[in-house]
Amino acid sequence: MSEPVIEVRDLVRKFGDRTVLNGISFTVEKGDTMIIMGGSGCGKSTLLRHIIGSMMPTSGSIKIFGQETTGMTPQELQKLRLRFGMNFQFGALLQSLTVGENVALPLIENSDVDPEIVDLVVKMKLELVGLTGFEHLKPAEISGGMRKRVGLARAVALDPELLFSDEPTSGLDPIMTAVIDQLTLDLTRKLDMTAVVVSHDMTSAFRIGTKMIMLGAGKKQGRIIAMGTPDEIRNSDNPEVQQFINGRPDGPIPLKLAKEDYIDSLIGHPRMNER
Amino acid sequence: MRDWFTLNAQVLYWLLVAPFRGVPVRLGPVFEQMVRIGVQAVPMTALTSLSIGITLAMQGAHELTRMGAASFVPDLVAMTILRELGPLLVGVVVIGRSGSAVTAELGTMKVSEEIEALEVMAIDPMRYLVLPRFVAMLVMLPALTVFGNYIGMAGGWAICHFSLDMETASYIRRLVESSHPMDLYSGMVKSVVFAWLIITISCVYGLGVKGGAEGVGRATTNSVVVSILTMLIADACLTAIFFFGES
Ligand SMILES: Nc1ncnc2c1ncn2[C@@H]1O[C@H](COP(=O)(O)OP(=O)(O)OP(=O)(O)O)[C@@H](O)[C@H]1O
Ligand SMILES: [Mg+2]
Repeated sequence: MSEPVIEVRDLVRKFGDRTVLNGISFTVEKGDTMIIMGGSGCGKSTLLRHIIGSMMPTSGSIKIFGQETTGMTPQELQKLRLRFGMNFQFGALLQSLTVGENVALPLIENSDVDPEIVDLVVKMKLELVGLTGFEHLKPAEISGGMRKRVGLARAVALDPELLFSDEPTSGLDPIMTAVIDQLTLDLTRKLDMTAVVVSHDMTSAFRIGTKMIMLGAGKKQGRIIAMGTPDEIRNSDNPEVQQFINGRPDGPIPLKLAKEDYIDSLIGHPRMNER
Repeated sequence: MRDWFTLNAQVLYWLLVAPFRGVPVRLGPVFEQMVRIGVQAVPMTALTSLSIGITLAMQGAHELTRMGAASFVPDLVAMTILRELGPLLVGVVVIGRSGSAVTAELGTMKVSEEIEALEVMAIDPMRYLVLPRFVAMLVMLPALTVFGNYIGMAGGWAICHFSLDMETASYIRRLVESSHPMDLYSGMVKSVVFAWLIITISCVYGLGVKGGAEGVGRATTNSVVVSILTMLIADACLTAIFFFGES
């Protein structure tokens, strides 16, 4: 068996004294579509940031294409980054450039292709995400969902081997969600791209995922509470997983404070009174 | 401070070393920045320099006429503008217009994850964002200073001509005779140094922004304050080197 595309071992990240990632380990094989699930604020985007090397872990190891990225020099990291694309949660488009220029950016900066070919590729990529004809608008002039799709078009502009996508379908209507899912499926199944997708949307997660992990919240903050194929997750007997994929407000996942804590926090923390 | 040294090292790498390794400086973005930093600052530079030229000449005319030395007004104007006020005031104009804008722009890009996105796309923000601004500033601030010098001397001329009844020709002759090349050169060296200080400080503050719109505002204020102070200190040092060393 060939070596995994991504291998994360015992990843720990602390912000101050808050442990956001606490011993995460998983692997992603070539051609896999790994779905990362979990409640809001549980550290999904932070996990992606560590894998793409824009944040460094407190401890642990991350290997991409078999190369250890923690402790890499900026030059080595830059070389590695040419092989993957990242679609940010909020698009992260360059506000000073038009939609078309944003998609063209990786091509212009990182390859030697002719301007006409760049033009062509930009048109093709925008067509893929259903945004033909919008190339001359600025990011501020399009909607949030459109910005996200531009971000996806930009992420796949260089036909990367590996795609990271942070909530690519949140804020999109069901039809557009299906289009984006189909695009991810085409890229991974037909072009053998590997993908890591953060998603809250269970329909789309089960549609595109070949492997899933779920991050915990509360006491289990920063740990993987379930991992497996979509079928294994769907049939999991872990109540937290069931609560999450079925979207039930009550269950083991503590979304709200317990009643006593709530009253405490309203009338002021006991320690505050001592001061 | 460490960020500032790193930024200098990286910009100099992209400017001086990389072109010989087949990564040329792209001229398009440089010209774009030159227009924003230089060309668009022309009206404000002109106004500032004109008023300072007029003011200097009026002050000089007032004092020197009393001492019966009204014919030395052009000397005063030329020397003060070329050596000191020209570079300094144009520097202040550019800090206010462009230094602050650069910090705010880079800072906004930082907080909206645009810088991170560039890095993840394997585009070095130093090369893509800082280098064009650096080159543009280093070219345009001295150019604006030369322009401002002319306008300032024209302001001096207006006073000498209309209020002291000096012939235009003799005003120009006085200017040429009284000023030394060293006056101009020292001013030019100053403005190059100022340009380098202003743009590196503005970029460091912009790229170092933390935390939302508030952070951008704070960084912009700091960048302007630090730029002006550093420029004034550098001015004192350079003046000491140029005019105080030998005597
Ligand atoms: N730069 C940072 N400094 C301090 N804390 C941070 C930082 N970045 C993230 N965090 C913390 O890490 C936690 C996880 O944040 P993250 O953005 O990864 O959540 P998420 O799972 O992506 O949530 P969402 O689904 O809402 O996007 C949050 O509690 C956040 O406060
Ligand atoms: Mg997120």
